[in-house]
Amino acid sequence: MADDGTGDLAAENDALGLALAAEHAAVWGYGVVGAALPAADRGTATGAEAAHRDVRDSLITLLAERSVEPAAAEGGYALPFPVLSPVDAAALGVVLEDGTSAAWVRVLDQAAERSTRELALEALTGAEVRAVAWRTAAGQDPVTRALPGLPAQ
Amino acid sequence: MSSLPSPAARGFSRRTLLAASAAGLAVVAVGCTSAPPDERERVTGAQADELLGQVGVQETLVAAYTAAGAADPGLAGEVADLAAQAGEQLERLRDAAPGATPSSPSPGTPPSPAEARAWLRDQVATAATSHATACVNQSGARAALLGSISAGLRGQDGRLA
Repeated sequence: MADDGTGDLAAENDALGLALAAEHAAVWGYGVVGAALPAADRGTATGAEAAHRDVRDSLITLLAERSVEPAAAEGGYALPFPVLSPVDAAALGVVLEDGTSAAWVRVLDQAAERSTRELALEALTGAEVRAVAWRTAAGQDPVTRALPGLPAQ
Repeated sequence: MSSLPSPAARGFSRRTLLAASAAGLAVVAVGCTSAPPDERERVTGAQADELLGQVGVQETLVAAYTAAGAADPGLAGEVADLAAQAGEQLERLRDAAPGATPSSPSPGTPPSPAEARAWLRDQVATAATSHATACVNQSGARAALLGSISAGLRGQDGRLA
């Protein structure tokens, strides 16, 4: 039982492990995003990559403190589509942020500890704010989501 | 080699999320709280009251979109999709709080048409903060829903900037 009486830590740790996998993928993916953007526009991708690195490192520390072996990053990841232009890069940014949003909503659903919900909420919010910017750059409409990270009903 | 997150990717797709947390999220989706699947879905009286309060917060935000649009018709057209999303969020909250009854809160009115956008942004940010505070006090599907709504409103705030 966790400290706030809302469940056991095993389910929370499993969800955090999935979030870590998503963060690993995002860090890797932003290398691709940045490479496809003009030099003048790479700052956004660099900032997003740094944000995901910070979250990833926090997750690794948290899981290690719980004696849970953190999943390592893959050597490489299959892209969901070719990234050949700045618009493709922005669309990949959307995919990366939406992927982490889904993982963090799952953490909120499974969390046993208040501090974990705080971590998840901060990460989820950052991901959606960045996703809005990428959807705009990719020419997607609408650029906002009512329920980011939640499955459609 | 693993795939990056995509609609078909394992681990963090919407479909996988739905399957993995089906019990909790499905309870919210249909507004059924008769059989909590685990500790996370048990609702204390304080949590139930807080969730009802968040329905009121969202009703106020939906009314704010209407008020801002009345003050500045140009803004109304520009933010129609955001207003619709706020309404969608309200419906999901009502589904999650079966005891909620519709009310007609007044958010006030923008001080002037020229300030309608800034006023609306403030209303959106206030609602987002309120849902975020409630999110960490809740658990299970309720926390997931409130967190998602809060994040969505932060995104709206960014678009209104």
